[in-house]
This record gives sequence, structure tokens and C-alpha cells, in this order.
Amino acid sequence: MNPGFFGLDIAVKGLYTAQRNLDVINHNVNNINTPGYSRQVANQSASRPIALLNGTGMLGTGSDVTGINRIRDEYLDFKYWSENKTYGEWEIKRTLLADLEATFNEPSDSGFSTMLDEFFHSLQELAKDPGSEAVRALVKEKGVTLAKYFNSMATHLEELQVDLNHQINTKVNRINSLGAQIQQLNKQIYRSELDGNVANDLRDQRTLLIDELSKLINIDVTEVVAGKLPNGREDKRMLITINGKPFVDHYDLTQLAVKQRADKLNPEEDVVNLYEVMWEDGNTLKVRGGELKGLLDVRDGNEGENGSPLYKGIPFYIKKLNEFVRTFAKAFNEGIIGSDDLEGHADGVGADNSTGVRFFTMLGIGNMPMSSDDFIAIPDCYNQLTAKNFSVSSDIINNINKIATSDTPDQIGNIENLNKLIKMRNNTHMFTEGAPEDFMKSIISTLGIDSQQAIRMSSNQQAMIRQVENQRLSESGVSMDEEMANMVKHQQAYNAAAVMINTMAEIYDILINRVGL
Amino acid sequence: MRITNSMLVNNMIANLGKNLSRMEKYQQRLATGKKISVPSDDPVVAARALKLRTDVSQIEQYKKNVKDALSWMEITESAIADVGDILQRARELAVQASNGTTTPEDTKKICEEVKQLKNQLVNLGNATYAGRYIFSGFKTNQKLLNDDGTFAINVDNSEIIIYQIGVGDSININVTAGDFFNSGGTATAGMSGSLFEDFDDFITALDTGDYAVIDATIAKIDLQQNNLLRIRADIGARCNRLELTVNRLENDALNFTKLMSENEDIDQAENIMLLKSEENVYRASLAGGARVIQPSLVDFLK
Repeated sequence: MNPGFFGLDIAVKGLYTAQRNLDVINHNVNNINTPGYSRQVANQSASRPIALLNGTGMLGTGSDVTGINRIRDEYLDFKYWSENKTYGEWEIKRTLLADLEATFNEPSDSGFSTMLDEFFHSLQELAKDPGSEAVRALVKEKGVTLAKYFNSMATHLEELQVDLNHQINTKVNRINSLGAQIQQLNKQIYRSELDGNVANDLRDQRTLLIDELSKLINIDVTEVVAGKLPNGREDKRMLITINGKPFVDHYDLTQLAVKQRADKLNPEEDVVNLYEVMWEDGNTLKVRGGELKGLLDVRDGNEGENGSPLYKGIPFYIKKLNEFVRTFAKAFNEGIIGSDDLEGHADGVGADNSTGVRFFTMLGIGNMPMSSDDFIAIPDCYNQLTAKNFSVSSDIINNINKIATSDTPDQIGNIENLNKLIKMRNNTHMFTEGAPEDFMKSIISTLGIDSQQAIRMSSNQQAMIRQVENQRLSESGVSMDEEMANMVKHQQAYNAAAVMINTMAEIYDILINRVGL
Repeated sequence: MRITNSMLVNNMIANLGKNLSRMEKYQQRLATGKKISVPSDDPVVAARALKLRTDVSQIEQYKKNVKDALSWMEITESAIADVGDILQRARELAVQASNGTTTPEDTKKICEEVKQLKNQLVNLGNATYAGRYIFSGFKTNQKLLNDDGTFAINVDNSEIIIYQIGVGDSININVTAGDFFNSGGTATAGMSGSLFEDFDDFITALDTGDYAVIDATIAKIDLQQNNLLRIRADIGARCNRLELTVNRLENDALNFTKLMSENEDIDQAENIMLLKSEENVYRASLAGGARVIQPSLVDFLK
């Protein structure tokens, strides 16, 4: 039969259930804009019924909230992480290649082609008036401008490399910091979930951190089942690996570290003391994705030479600039083009009857231009030339009459030699790519195409990411309409339960106060 | 599919961003007048732009070279024309002196005039262009002739000054001293060219009244005139070629500039249309966004 105040008990349960539901809704609405938040739902079920012994059957006892779960499709998280590393890599490359494009500043009226044009134009002017000191001074200045252009390009590129080196250090620190935070959360989550609960908000936080981590470096995330807990549930432990080696293994963290390289990776192109990214325990690490890979590729990439990444990064462009100044200086000074030994500047005669003067040399001690003789005395001198130390020789700078135009002494109007120098501008055998400007054109095209690829890849990846992100939001995001509708629903349930209490109270009022008095 | 508020906001922001970036692209084009600002906008256009810029700037330089070559050769031609006049006058005088009717006084006058003509020749032989001696071969800083008409310097006929007037195209602009003053021979310091020898012989003959030599002078002057005509014709031909080259370079400059413009300049009308249309899309997406974002059930609950 009807035990004592049972009706009131049920109604109170109804109040509690409605309240608990409203709490969850309140929490959802509060966190509608919290990054990484997944909406939560209260699991509500009818509470254990009482079996009535008179054959009536089971009597319902109201409702219970049995748990609060987050709505999350973890498959989407995995998908997000795997796309995010590619996005991070190309996004970084896009930015960095845009920097490089700005450095090269082509096509413009102040880029390489203008410098080369003006240098050769000054030679043309000299050919028309080889005795003129004013034109000779112009040739010297244009030569110096050309050399300085290469110096400043090389310096820019080196500065960019140093800058990337710092960025790599920062990224590694960030990766370690994220790892440490995830490790902490692992502990909290594991402890909170031992009793069978789901640590919704902590898990959201962890997912958010892994989101960020997945953009920085290639990671694989798994929840490993390590057996059964005493209460029969699976003992799940979070494992994040990089290239198969555990980075965060449940409670353990193996950090990454940077170490200054003893030897340069690209001996001719790199600046000194670049960082090598490795495991803290000394193991080597080959980064395969994420922003860190983008940075490493651009910092070290030299088309796979010297074991560098198979990408055209800063060392590649420095190498190309070096190749240009070496070949150009050799051709212009000595007339050596490929296997041909033609006549160059050194074979000509200056206005002061000097011969054997090299127009281009390199910067020596104290960044001062070297003289022709000092330069030639260096063994394998042209391979010591780099874009950074390229210079007009001190002979020419100190005495413009040493600019060789003639092929015979005492003939000021003789421009035989100069004409040969001028023709080099259109010598298509100078580089494998063709004439000097073809060489630079090919560098610019390469850069343009690579940069275009980076732009396309990053925008494609961004679209992918956005798609997954949308799916995640669709699944886990808080919908205001939904929450409001639910709020109304539960408010009404609460009201109804309250009315039930009233009704019960009236019943008991009649029973207690009026019956039998 | 379940649509949540964050999705709406995120998508709206992303789409507005996309629209803005397209608008920015067209605005940039409008402001610069160029299709590309960095190579990655279109690597092919960028590479072509570099090539065309170089071509155009080289053509400009060649145009300057041709003009300078023309000035040099005009000076040369006018000097040669003056020499032609002198030869003509000398021939007239030789004819006058040789017909036997001239008095010794007349002969003396003729002799004086021929001496003046010779001095004039020396001056023409030392003609300059912008301070450079035009007949001195490679030694443009040195006088060709002494005052007595002997060569002051050696000038080999191989001392040909060559100007570049195109890729792989060049032209010699000078006339060497020997070719002109020594009937195609070379000029040797201290020696006289045949032209001056003829004048010297003429003057001596006039002084001594050697009519046979005076008579022979007419034929010699004819030979010199032939030599001069040969050189004048050569210069004329070269000037002609230079003028054709100028025309061709002007055309090239026009064509290449046009190509350059076609390659990298935008079609303003098309660009403005595109910009306007992007602007409309942007406005529409803003208006749409404002509608989508605002209302939710909250607005209708009392």
C-alpha cells in the first residue's frame, strides 16, 4: 500500500532532477564562448521502482540524475590533430616565404635586375667615353651598389635565419610547456575518473592543449587501456608520441631540448651556433610536421644537401646568391665562363696602363675591400667569395683609372676589352640557367612557385581544419536555442514538481488536520 | 546537421575574412595598377616581368648608344665634307695654276691660298667630338696631326671604335687617320699622309713654278677625292644603318613596353567591376551576418 510520505519524496526528487538539469544548462550557457568547451548533458533516468506485493506491479519512484557527460566525438579530435600539423607547417612556411619575397623585392624598380641593368648601363656609357673620369666614377659606384646589394641580401637572409633559430627555441619551449600542462591534467583527470566519473571540463581543457600542441609538432595521441580498475572499468591512460617515442606517457614527460650545433649543417651557408632540436635524453629527433617542421625546413632547407631538409629554405637562397657572385665575378674578372677562358677585366688595360686588375674581389679584414693581388693570392679564391663578402676591389675604389677598357696600353679610346665585358651580360653560357638575369629570374620563379604552393597548401589545410572544427562545433558546441528550450522544459518540470508538493501537502493537510479530529 | 551559435559566429567571421581578403586584393591592384605585387601572385607573370623590364631597359640604353654614335659620325661626316670642299678648291686652284696663263704674282697668291687650305686640313684632321680626337683611332686623347701636317701618333687601321647598338649588334663609328689621310695606308708618327704629301708637292711646285708637277697634282687630287668619296659613302651607309636601327629600337621599345603592360598591368575597368562586385558581396555578408547572429530564443522568452 501507499507508504507514509512517499508522494512528497517523489516530488522532491522531481525538484532535484529539474534543478540539476537547470544547473547543467546554466553551466552550458555560461560556457557558450569558452574555447574547447563541449556541451554537457545530464543523464536522467527513472529511479528504481518499488515492487508492489499485491500484484499491482512496479511503482515508479521518480527520477534521478545519474551522471553528467560531455558530448564529444573523439574521432573528430583525432582528425583535427592530424590535419592541424600540416596546417601549422604550411602556415609558417607561407609567412616565411612571404618574408623572403619581400627581401628579394621583385618585380620592382629597386631589385636585382635594376642593379644589374644600371651596372651594365654604366659600362655602356663608359664605352662611349672611356677617358671620362666622371663616367669611370659612375661605373665604380654602380659596381659598388651591385656588390652592396648582394651584401645586404645575404645579411637579410642571415638575420632571418637567426630569427628563425630563436623562434625554434620558443616553439620547443612552448611544446615542453604544453607537455607539462597535459601531464598535470592527466594526473587530475585520472584521479577524478578513478571512481567512474567523467572529468568533462578537465578533458576539454586537455583537448584544447592538445589542439595547440598538434599545430606545433607531429604527434600521435592514444588512450591506452592498461588493464582494469578494481571497479571493473577500463584503466585508460593518455599517451602522446612523437615519431613513436613517448612525449607524454600518462604521468611521465620526456621533454624536447635544443642544443647548439658544434658543426654547421650547411657549412657554407649557415650562421654559427644554430639549434638542433632533440630529445632531452639525448636521442635525436626528426621533426615531421607542425610549425616546428616549417621553421626547420625554412631555416635549414638546402634541397637535401648535407642532410638538410628537402626544401628550398634560406640556405638554398644563400647558396644561389653565392653561386651567382662566384660565377659572375669569375667571368667578369677572368673571362672564365664554364670551360671557356675568354678575356675578362684582368686581361684588359686601365687608363693608367695597369693590367691584371680584378674588378670584383671580396671584403677582407675589417670588412675592407681586398686588393686584386691579395685576392688572387688566396688559394681557390673564387670559392671563398660569398654574397656577403662580395665587393669591388680596393684598386678600383682607390683609382678609377684602373677600370680596364682597352686591350693595349696607351690607347684611351680603345674599348675592345670593355666591349667583351659588356657582351657578358647576354652570355647565355655563364650559368646553366642562361645569362645572369636568367639565373636571378629562375631564383625568383622558384621562390614565387614555392610561396604560391605554401599559400595554397595552407589555405587548403585551413579549409580542412575549418570543416573539422565546424563538425566539432556542430557536435559539441552549445546551442543557445536548445539550451533555452531545455531550460523552459526543466523549469516547467520543476514547477510541476512544486505543484505536486502542494497537492501532496493538501492531501496530508486533509489527512493529518481534518481526519479523525 | 546541428547548428550551434559558435558555428554561426565562426563561419561568419571566416567568410567575412575571405571576402575582405578578396576585396583587399582588388584594392591593391587598383592602387598599384599591377596584377602582381609579389612573385607568388603569379610566378609566370613575375618571371616574364623581370625579363621584359631588362629588355626595355636594354633597348633604352641601345637607343642612347645609337644617338651618341650618330652624333660622332655626324661630326666625322661634316669634317670629311669640309675636306671635300678643300680638295675641290685645291683642284680648281691647280687647274688655274696649270693653264700657263697665270702671272708669277697670281701663282704666289694661289700658293698662299693652298698653304691656308693645308692649315685648314690640319685643323680638320684634329677635329674633336666632346673633347676627343675623332681620327686618332684609339688614342682619342692625342692630337692626330702636327702643325706641319705630319702624323703626331701612330694609328693603325685596326683601331676601330665599336659601339653596341643591340644584343649581338655593333657598329664601328670612327674613320681611322691612315684610311682617310693616307689613302687607306696606316698613319705613322713623323710621316706625312699621302694627302699632305700631295699638298706639300703642290706648294713646292707652286713655289718653284714647276708646271708639270702642278699638272700632275690635278690627277692626284682626283685620286684623293675618290678616296674621300669612298669613305663618305661608307659613313653614309653606316649613318643610314644607325637611323634604321633607331627606328627599329623605337619600335622595339614600344612593343616591349606594350608587352610589359599587357603582362603585368591590370585592366582597370575589369578590376573596378570586380572590386564593386566584391564590395556588394561583402556588404551582403555583413547584412546577413547581422541578421543571423542576433536573434535567439532568449530574445523571445519572457
